[in-house]
Amino acid sequence: MTEILQQIINGIAIGGVYVLIALGLTIVFGILGIAHFAHGSVSMFGGYLTFFLAAQHGIPLALAITIALITGMVLGVLIELLAYRPVRHANHINAFIVALGLTMMVEGANLQFFGAEQIVIPTGATRVFSIGGVTLPELRLYVILAAAALIAAMTIFVEKTKTGQAIRAVAENRDAAILMGINVQMIPLVVFAISTALGVAAGVMVGSLFAIAPGVGEGLVVKGFAVLILGGLGSIPGAVVGGIVLGVTEALAAGFISSAYKDVIAFVVMIAVLLLRPQGLMGRA
Amino acid sequence: MMGKSLLTCSVAALLLGTGSLAAQETLKIGVADALTGGAAVYGLPQANSVEMAADEINAAGGISVGDETYMLDVIVYDDKANPTEATNAVRKLIDRDGVKYILGFCCSGATGAIASFIGYEDAVMLVGNAAERSITTQGLTNLVRTRPPADYTGAAAGAFVARQGHKRVAVLGALETSFYASYVEAFEEEFAKSGGEVIAHEVFASKDRDMSPQLTKIRAMDPDALLVVGYVEPAAFAYRQSTELGMDIPRYGFTSGSEEQFLRVATTEQMEGVWDLRPTELTLQSTTDAGLAYHEHYLERFGDAPSPSSPYAYDQAWALKHAIEAAGSVDDTEAVAAALRDLKIFPEAVMQYRPVNGKMFDDNGQAYTANGAFQWQDGHWVFVEELPSDPEAYSEFLSSLN
Repeated sequence: MTEILQQIINGIAIGGVYVLIALGLTIVFGILGIAHFAHGSVSMFGGYLTFFLAAQHGIPLALAITIALITGMVLGVLIELLAYRPVRHANHINAFIVALGLTMMVEGANLQFFGAEQIVIPTGATRVFSIGGVTLPELRLYVILAAAALIAAMTIFVEKTKTGQAIRAVAENRDAAILMGINVQMIPLVVFAISTALGVAAGVMVGSLFAIAPGVGEGLVVKGFAVLILGGLGSIPGAVVGGIVLGVTEALAAGFISSAYKDVIAFVVMIAVLLLRPQGLMGRA
Repeated sequence: MMGKSLLTCSVAALLLGTGSLAAQETLKIGVADALTGGAAVYGLPQANSVEMAADEINAAGGISVGDETYMLDVIVYDDKANPTEATNAVRKLIDRDGVKYILGFCCSGATGAIASFIGYEDAVMLVGNAAERSITTQGLTNLVRTRPPADYTGAAAGAFVARQGHKRVAVLGALETSFYASYVEAFEEEFAKSGGEVIAHEVFASKDRDMSPQLTKIRAMDPDALLVVGYVEPAAFAYRQSTELGMDIPRYGFTSGSEEQFLRVATTEQMEGVWDLRPTELTLQSTTDAGLAYHEHYLERFGDAPSPSSPYAYDQAWALKHAIEAAGSVDDTEAVAAALRDLKIFPEAVMQYRPVNGKMFDDNGQAYTANGAFQWQDGHWVFVEELPSDPEAYSEFLSSLN
């Protein structure tokens, strides 16, 4: 029993990272219909920037993260304005190609500015809490709490604020939203700013829990899309449930079946869910 | 008359000039190694150390062949430890750059790919850190390797862990990489002779950074000790996460990582007490004057301490210099390859090689160092003791596999 609980705890921390990545992807996809493949690379940019500020320039970690989040929001706005907006009314394949090109550009920029070496964001959080044989490292606890806080903030923003209502309105029916006086030029900018900030948060988590290196972002965005499909395209609760399910499944599969097939088993579960519920766990039929 | 003198002087000057050009040539040597990606922790220091050795050789007067002196010019390509990239890099070196001597090679997958065709080339391949046994069992006369195979070290490690009184050991490692698997296989065989048993073989891939699920499984099996085999970075995460899971058991490993490399991932408290059972390589407490000078020069030039395994490549460059001088030719690669196999251990060597029949490389082109047990104590790798190893016997065994 202790082992199962420990594996679930292991999985929740990873699942939290998947949730943040998937949330960023799902709001962009749900509202703008764009498969934003560069999200993983942008997320890694956030992790690199935090490392650069905190580890190389001695800026306190909390301030470094804040600067990275704000920079991420600005970057998100620029991506929407310069990369996606010009092809918004064109065929979907154009946005798809822009997304792929953007991925390569951001990866290249990361490589150019931050180098090819793996980096780990130093946090100093090394304490370990133990309850009944189940251990919870301090850093993982912070990751879980931070992910939960961001999910709650995102939910409140989308559900309770005027801007959030406007975002939902554009997602439901863009033409009706225009008729209701919503500034539909502004909504994509807000969506990309939020999406990229969530990605940056995920990048910081990956960089402190594990490591950031060229190629890590691509793997992360694949997992993010898997969560999207698992939870239901465009569904915020789906991204939360899907991310946790994927993280815990991976941990349980590695612990009880085989670590060699960790990724395979997680994707087998995803396929099984799709066979039984093609719309995903929380998607609308 | 004056015009004739001027002409004579000009011709003399031209001849002198040509003479001095003929006396000092450039010899291009190639390096194919992992400069980026997960294996760069091994490959980049190797590439650096070849460049450093080449500069030192040049500063000491270059390579003397008859009346001519050759200055080394190093061409470095990134093979990313990937067989396809390595093949492209070596083909470029041979076909486009006209290189006949190729050094580096930190990693077995990429090295194995090159070894599969190097026998057909007019070139000599000097392998460094790549530890897969089969690289020197193919009867390739134009290939030598400075690092001993992984199973040579694994057997010594198995005997050492058994001597610590452990009976049940769990293994976590890159077991899908054949040279790590061969280390564990030799470890297990030797460990079993003392009644020990390996109770788990958990796997991680070189890109994995979360080993918590595997470690949780191992923790539930209550082993006496943990053995971690793999590249530095995943191994460092395994050590860090084992403490995060509250695993208070002796931890052994086979990684060859430097202190700096481990400290990028784990704290010194998380590393405290970890053993690394590996070839002695570069260890400041037990190294020679050549090793100390190497460490100092490398640190001065690159700003980082050299990784323990990086001198394998440094020694390649010096071995090549001595072999070319012994062969008396830079063009006759067969003669240079033969001279390498006849080479005695030279004073510039940083690694502490164990000769076989008085030579640095045995008939298979394989060199041997001592194996050692190192322990992390207060932020440093401390050399604790040498592990009993028999290069002569292993060399015979290796020859029997040809």
